[in-house]
Amino acid sequence: MIRVLVTDDSRVMRQIVIRTLRQAGYDWDVREASDGTEALEAIRADEPDVVLCDWNMPEMNGIDLLRNMRAEGFQTPFGFVTSEGSPEMRATAEAAGALFLIAKPFTPDAFREVIEPVLA
Amino acid sequence: MSTIVEHDQVFLIAQEVFASMIDGDPGLLQPWTGDLPEFEEPIVAWVDLSGDWAGRAELLTATATGHDLARALLAMEPDEVVTALDLVDAFGEVANVVGGNVKSLLPTQGKLGLPQVAPVAPVVPGAVVVQELRLAWRGMPLVVTVLGFVPADEEGTAGGDIR
Repeated sequence: MIRVLVTDDSRVMRQIVIRTLRQAGYDWDVREASDGTEALEAIRADEPDVVLCDWNMPEMNGIDLLRNMRAEGFQTPFGFVTSEGSPEMRATAEAAGALFLIAKPFTPDAFREVIEPVLA
Repeated sequence: MSTIVEHDQVFLIAQEVFASMIDGDPGLLQPWTGDLPEFEEPIVAWVDLSGDWAGRAELLTATATGHDLARALLAMEPDEVVTALDLVDAFGEVANVVGGNVKSLLPTQGKLGLPQVAPVAPVVPGAVVVQELRLAWRGMPLVVTVLGFVPADEEGTAGGDIR
């Protein structure tokens, strides 16, 4: 069972991400957060195996969540699932410690490709 | 005349977004043929882009079509009631993904705002229509528009029509 925290301010998008994770395979134990602040609290309470996170959110955005996690010592595998996939954003994500960035719209294959190395 | 984003690029983005997020089939979003009917209870979802190039990606349709979109996105039954919250979330998220992908086409990267949904989008003085795509989603009319916000002293240089 892989424990994943799906963070997105859109309930619709969280649902699509969760549906796609299940289509991609594996056995997921899913928790949800609607912004970076909520996600950080959830991680402090119970660190998941992997965090999937939107970039652009109110309160605390995805990149600030990642930087806060690393500053607090959480090395949880982290990937962005975001509507923006420019080279600049990928470089920023990587520099902050993200393992991958999946651009929306996505397919189960896109998830499989980036998740498999993380789980290996 | 070339513009900052081309018609075909926006169409491909819209088709991919609808196919991946909603339909699983790119054939369900097609160009609209003939005159576009008046939208009954229109609803608009948009995201603003700021930076070296400022503008907006906007989706316009009828509220009933917005409900169908939300049902499809949330895997709801055809007769299931869509709440106002779900309508705003679902339709806004489609605009967000379209806008994010339009932003990726820009030569310089700016900032993408959060999606907004309302019966009418706020007018930005001097905004020009860079691209307007009249589309049919599952046979229902839907318009995707990319607007450029041009500073007053540069009006007429974006290759679009003043709105």
